[in-house]
Amino acid sequence: MNYPNTKKIDTFTIQLNGKSCQAMSGETVVDVARREGIEIPTLCHDTRLEPAGACRVCLVEVEGQRRLQPGCAWKVHPDMKVTTESDRIQKHRTVLYSMYMADHELDADGLPVETANTNQLRELCKTIEPMNLEPVEAPRVGRPGDENPYIEFKPDLCILCARCTRYCDEVEAVNAITLAFRGSETTISTAGERGLIDTSCELCGGCIDTCPTGALVEKKAPKNLVSLETKTTRSTCNFCGVGCQLDLHSHNGRVVKITSPEPGETLNDGNLCVKGRFAYDFVHHEDRITEPLIRGEDGELHPVSWDEAIAAVAEGLTKVKERHGADSLGFISSSRCTGEENYLMQKLSRAAFGTNNIHQCAAT
Amino acid sequence: MFGAGAMTNAIDEIRDSELMFVIGSNTTEAHPIIAMEMKRARQNGAKLIVADPRKIWLAEMADYHLQLKPGTDVWLLSAMAHVIIGEELHDQAFIDAHTEGFESVKDKVASYSPEEAEKVTGVPAEDIRAAARLYATTKHAGIYYTLGITEHTHGTDNVYCLANLVLMTGHLGVRSAGMNPLRGQNNVQGANDAGATPIYYPGYQKVTDDEVRKKFEAGWGVPLSPNDGLNLNVMMKEMAAGNMKAVYVMGEDIVISEPNVTKVEKGLNQCEFVVCQEIFHNETTRFADVILPGACFAEKDGVFTNSDRRVQRVRKVVDPPGNARADWEILCDVARAVGYDMPHYKNAGEVFAEYASFTPKIAGISYERLEENTAGLQWPCPDTNHPGTPTLHMDGPMIGKAPFQAVDYRPSAELADNEYPLVLSTGRTLYHYNSATQTRRDPGPVAKQRGNFIELHRSDARKLEIEHGEKIKVLSRRGEVCAEAWISPRVRPGCIWMPMHFAESRANLLTNDAGDSITGTGEYKVCAVRVEKLDPKAAPC
Repeated sequence: MNYPNTKKIDTFTIQLNGKSCQAMSGETVVDVARREGIEIPTLCHDTRLEPAGACRVCLVEVEGQRRLQPGCAWKVHPDMKVTTESDRIQKHRTVLYSMYMADHELDADGLPVETANTNQLRELCKTIEPMNLEPVEAPRVGRPGDENPYIEFKPDLCILCARCTRYCDEVEAVNAITLAFRGSETTISTAGERGLIDTSCELCGGCIDTCPTGALVEKKAPKNLVSLETKTTRSTCNFCGVGCQLDLHSHNGRVVKITSPEPGETLNDGNLCVKGRFAYDFVHHEDRITEPLIRGEDGELHPVSWDEAIAAVAEGLTKVKERHGADSLGFISSSRCTGEENYLMQKLSRAAFGTNNIHQCAAT
Repeated sequence: MFGAGAMTNAIDEIRDSELMFVIGSNTTEAHPIIAMEMKRARQNGAKLIVADPRKIWLAEMADYHLQLKPGTDVWLLSAMAHVIIGEELHDQAFIDAHTEGFESVKDKVASYSPEEAEKVTGVPAEDIRAAARLYATTKHAGIYYTLGITEHTHGTDNVYCLANLVLMTGHLGVRSAGMNPLRGQNNVQGANDAGATPIYYPGYQKVTDDEVRKKFEAGWGVPLSPNDGLNLNVMMKEMAAGNMKAVYVMGEDIVISEPNVTKVEKGLNQCEFVVCQEIFHNETTRFADVILPGACFAEKDGVFTNSDRRVQRVRKVVDPPGNARADWEILCDVARAVGYDMPHYKNAGEVFAEYASFTPKIAGISYERLEENTAGLQWPCPDTNHPGTPTLHMDGPMIGKAPFQAVDYRPSAELADNEYPLVLSTGRTLYHYNSATQTRRDPGPVAKQRGNFIELHRSDARKLEIEHGEKIKVLSRRGEVCAEAWISPRVRPGCIWMPMHFAESRANLLTNDAGDSITGTGEYKVCAVRVEKLDPKAAPC
């Protein structure tokens, strides 16, 4: 079978700040710089998305180009020379960040406000001496009537980089949110400004994850999450068989937020679905069974100690085995439980009770 | 099939696909993050063939949607093989080098012409031809399937047909290709790997093999049964027949999840002793004599093994509520209480080490290595220096020569007739999960999907004078349920579809517990039903 030929990739060198660096066709200046450990700030850039060049934070000098060019979108070519730090670039950043600040909610220190999620613009603004620009009167609206339980949009923190809408289009491909209105009224909205529940939104929360300024935040997370001392634990999602990696953020013995590891780190590439990211209320739900229970003569369940419960299980199963033989017992393990638990359940069935009647809910 | 029961290729290869053939998998709902990879491949120009009785989300972006009648997969796939062989698009060099039995399949599919297939499946012959050509002539072409293939009385035949296609086109041992069952639950792969199956010890080592059994008898210090056990489907039937007298159910709501649950309830009622180990009360715990409170994933250590054979850590974040305990600790206590000398494992890592020591496929994996390899390790990983295996069969099939399997079409166990004229298929949705004890306790899934619904075609709704949103009754030979009617362009005329998540309206009261003869998997995807309007005078349901 002759298959059509697939993509061809060339490698060559470029100069970054005078240093020779290996690059491949199709890469951008930011791709090469990150690999070389050269810092170029970005806000609208996400490796999962097509470059937009929207935020202008990553502008660099490219030899032969009269204007500064966006490093996130500018494709490399052989022998090109790029400068990522210069007085000209610093001057550009000062003006740009100051303009962002004029159109942004600021805190008492005059810096961009931080919500439950980090605000990367705040970090960038700390690197300049801001100009005192007149605050912009931007009548940008959120969706005040949106009653979805998970995703909150704070229009005063939005820099209109469109990462969220591009994610919704290019990665999740449901196109629930979009840039709406024009000029200073431009905002992130939905068709007919409906609440997310009434749109094609699947509540994956990828928009929150990609937002660089914390304008999109989890409604479930404590408002003061940034100031709380939280522990982050890497684990594996307990729903479907994809095996997404999760970072569970906990505070005072409770799970308060779930995020994905950074794009590129694990197989889910920074993505999660509605269940993985948000459906964790069950963990601390009041309906959880908290005591061992035995059904009494009255037909009701009664709390007992662990010793009593384990003894009752042992006695009940042993009696049936004595009366009817080991193969009258059935052990139903769980593909929701861990590998170790499945190993122990089959060991219990086989070694402790002597039957191979062990299976679980997995049928694929 | 070719030496390992798992995805042959890795999930992150999907983005580099040139073609994806998705059959019996509503990927965007059941495996949303794999679907994101598929969407990415599609945006990069990959072709997409979807075979599904419903116009699922992926079907809308597909080059070909083969909207077959439920249960006719063998016809569709055999006709594709017929085209590939007839037009000499098969890979003779691969067939000669790596397979056996090609002639038997060649002879068998000769009578499965696309024109005849069209009559049975309802898929236009030209679409079958085009899809077959596209699949056979594209190098990085992977097959992705899930329960739409396996949940049939001929599920194994369906899988054989897919394997035949993979083998005859040489799509094995190639990146972004292969044969990929997407596992429905977090640790389906791991539960099977760990030996929670009636015919295998951990690592797919047969319980009927004397040498293997001796190894486990020596390791566990007790004599072991030389007989295959019963699969879950048969266990449920034996329980209803009064032969299975006690069950120990950990982490499954069998009274929602198993087919024909009336029979399961009857069986549980007859049982002399029922133990449930659970995190929530559910339909099954109603029958329990003892309930042991277990821990959820955030409250214990362990590993899950995902669809692409990736062993990844589960780590304890918070304590279990009240006196609930990690399930592995409970199991050890029960074993000791009946006099079995279960080792006193200090932590889950020690359990894993013992499990790995018996299981060559994961012998090279340890908790220490999983700390370093944050993206997990994919089996086979036979020794501690082995980097794991993202793509299987790169040097030819692991079993040596992979066998072709000639299969005949067999109709589903229960077909539509005058009394029950519609075909019901069941499945999962994006927003809920299995028996939904977890997802129905979160506001988002509930806001998006409050309760049960039935997708039915406009033409059927019109005949029965059913309006969108109206509560209706669905009846099969085994039971009846009420749910909201959703008049949907997604389903075929004559077919209805219902999710399985809702305890108050259990789809599995309707489904047929006839099982596949080899795997015992129930026929969740095809059973005969009829739909009725509710009697306005009767009590609401």
